[in-house]
Amino acid sequence: MIRTSTQNDLIRYIYQETDTEENIEIQTAAILNGSLAHELHELEQTVKSITAAERVPSESAIDKILSYSKSYDLHSLK
Amino acid sequence: MRKYEVSDSQLISLYKNGNEDAFAELVSRHKNKIFTTIYMIVKDHDLAEDLLQETYVKVVNTVKSGRYNEEGKFLPWVSRIAHNLAIDHFRKAKRYPTIVMEDGSNVFNSLEFSEESIEDRQIKEDTHALLRELIKELPDSQREVLMMRHYMQMSFQEIAEVTDVSINTALGRMRYALINLRKKMDKMNVAYDKNIYPE
Repeated sequence: MIRTSTQNDLIRYIYQETDTEENIEIQTAAILNGSLAHELHELEQTVKSITAAERVPSESAIDKILSYSKSYDLHSLK
Repeated sequence: MRKYEVSDSQLISLYKNGNEDAFAELVSRHKNKIFTTIYMIVKDHDLAEDLLQETYVKVVNTVKSGRYNEEGKFLPWVSRIAHNLAIDHFRKAKRYPTIVMEDGSNVFNSLEFSEESIEDRQIKEDTHALLRELIKELPDSQREVLMMRHYMQMSFQEIAEVTDVSINTALGRMRYALINLRKKMDKMNVAYDKNIYPE
């Protein structure tokens, strides 16, 4: 049975909110505990899936944003 | 999770001094997350692009007029603007998100997956669309934390404060959100295909 605090630490670890010392602790724990390592892997894969499912705006939409910024001074003088 | 050599804060400073390349980097760095935040609410690609542009018009106006608050983080700030604009859109239109069909691939997706077959690309896009639907099916409290942490890049401490819960509750909700998503993906046979989700 994995403690809830450890499970929550895995979430912080995946989202890079742990410090160096905590990272070493979690990585060591994952080496020693197969079920913890499995849970970490599953969580990481799920997060990767969410990232991969992000939508991408068109290049023209981004170009319009950058053009607006470049011409800001012209807009603000009007 | 990516770490950048030049921080958002440094890019903002450069942008304040007129460096447009710094702004282009900021936009490029976060465009997918902010666009997805909007898209998850409005479910319409063209409308989401309009709101993305509206979001950045506010960003440009705020930064260039010297009103940007350095204390906050850039992405959570922009994400909040985007989120509010998307919600405002429905308030103004006096309607709520309804089921809208996905609008298929776009120019960027086509370029990104140019070496794949049309069929492979369609499978990938269908899988991603399904995952976004599964996210929407999560319980409100779990979806809220997932959106705030993953797309809006708020820390768990910030999420705990905004949602008025302990940090452990916020972390627990995120954990259950991920576990539930994984279960739903397994149930729908959305495999962890390395071709779909590269390492």
